[in-house]
Amino acid sequence: MNLVSHQRMLAQFTRLPVGAGWLNRWLLVGFCLLLQGCPTPYELRHVNQWDSREQIWLSEESQVKIRTAQSRVFDTSDRRKMLATIVSTLQDLDFKVEVLDEGLGLVSGKKYVENEQIYGLDLSYLLYQPDTLLVLNRHDRTWGPFTHRSNLVRLTVTVRKRNEAQLVVRASAQFYLRAVEDPAPYQQFFRTLEQSVFLEGHSVE
Amino acid sequence: MMKLENVGGILAVVVLVLIQGCAAPQPSPDLLAPTDAQMKIRSLQTRSFDIKDRQLAMRGVIAALQDLGFIIERANESLGLVTAARFAEPNFYDVVGVTVTVRSETDGRMMIRANAIYNNKPIEDPKVYQNFFATLERSLFVTKN
Repeated sequence: MNLVSHQRMLAQFTRLPVGAGWLNRWLLVGFCLLLQGCPTPYELRHVNQWDSREQIWLSEESQVKIRTAQSRVFDTSDRRKMLATIVSTLQDLDFKVEVLDEGLGLVSGKKYVENEQIYGLDLSYLLYQPDTLLVLNRHDRTWGPFTHRSNLVRLTVTVRKRNEAQLVVRASAQFYLRAVEDPAPYQQFFRTLEQSVFLEGHSVE
Repeated sequence: MMKLENVGGILAVVVLVLIQGCAAPQPSPDLLAPTDAQMKIRSLQTRSFDIKDRQLAMRGVIAALQDLGFIIERANESLGLVTAARFAEPNFYDVVGVTVTVRSETDGRMMIRANAIYNNKPIEDPKVYQNFFATLERSLFVTKN
């Protein structure tokens, strides 16, 4: 093969339709994404948290700002009634109460939300075997002691005394294993809580 | 035959969709907001009973839940809270969780409210709550006498 024919071949090769070059480029991008693990279904894609200490560093916003959004002052000194109201507010929000401590003024609950639709048939759902250690259903990822759910919302509400006539209620929520830092959900929560405080105040008097 | 440019375009769209899917989901502003459905079923979940003693009402609630095959997870007497869970029929893959609160009203009556959650969805069928309260009435009657 002489040089001329080689060059001609090269020229022919490079004269392939323009789309092919684009196709290759896109295929490359797609392949890179595949390597990253992105196009897999949502349930397979999310991060397993192996070390809970990582969560400590997850906060991105200013703590003061978050704390302000999470706290609200109520003009009542009846701590027990406030706790009962918080429990009923959690009921309103479809939470399941998990921890309740009157002495510490603490209520915690959890709920599951629908956050992403799965495309087509979810194979992992068919693999679900309730009597094995490995659980693969729609949202649970369990392998031995490790488990977490992608659609879990956790909420902790604390009540403490501010002064003789006021209580401070602080709520902190977690979603997708991260602290919720957006003030909007907290505003919604306190709106609901204020409504039910109002309703309660009137039902007792 | 489909032009290669078209394939490239389709691939571009697919890749864009994929990239969008890569970000962790952001919590929606309505994460902690009550739903309309919840407001509607609130009255179905609540019933007032003619009992003066709070502890008696709590015992009745626990007994009713046991009658229905629930396992009690926690009970707090002073705040009037009972939570329980059970696996659902027929194949027992699914979980039903219940939160019941007991609150005293002014005129010596007790207000009992039950919330049931099936896996991750709140139960909105009124029949379920009617059944629960029917069982509760029976159980309170038995406990009283």
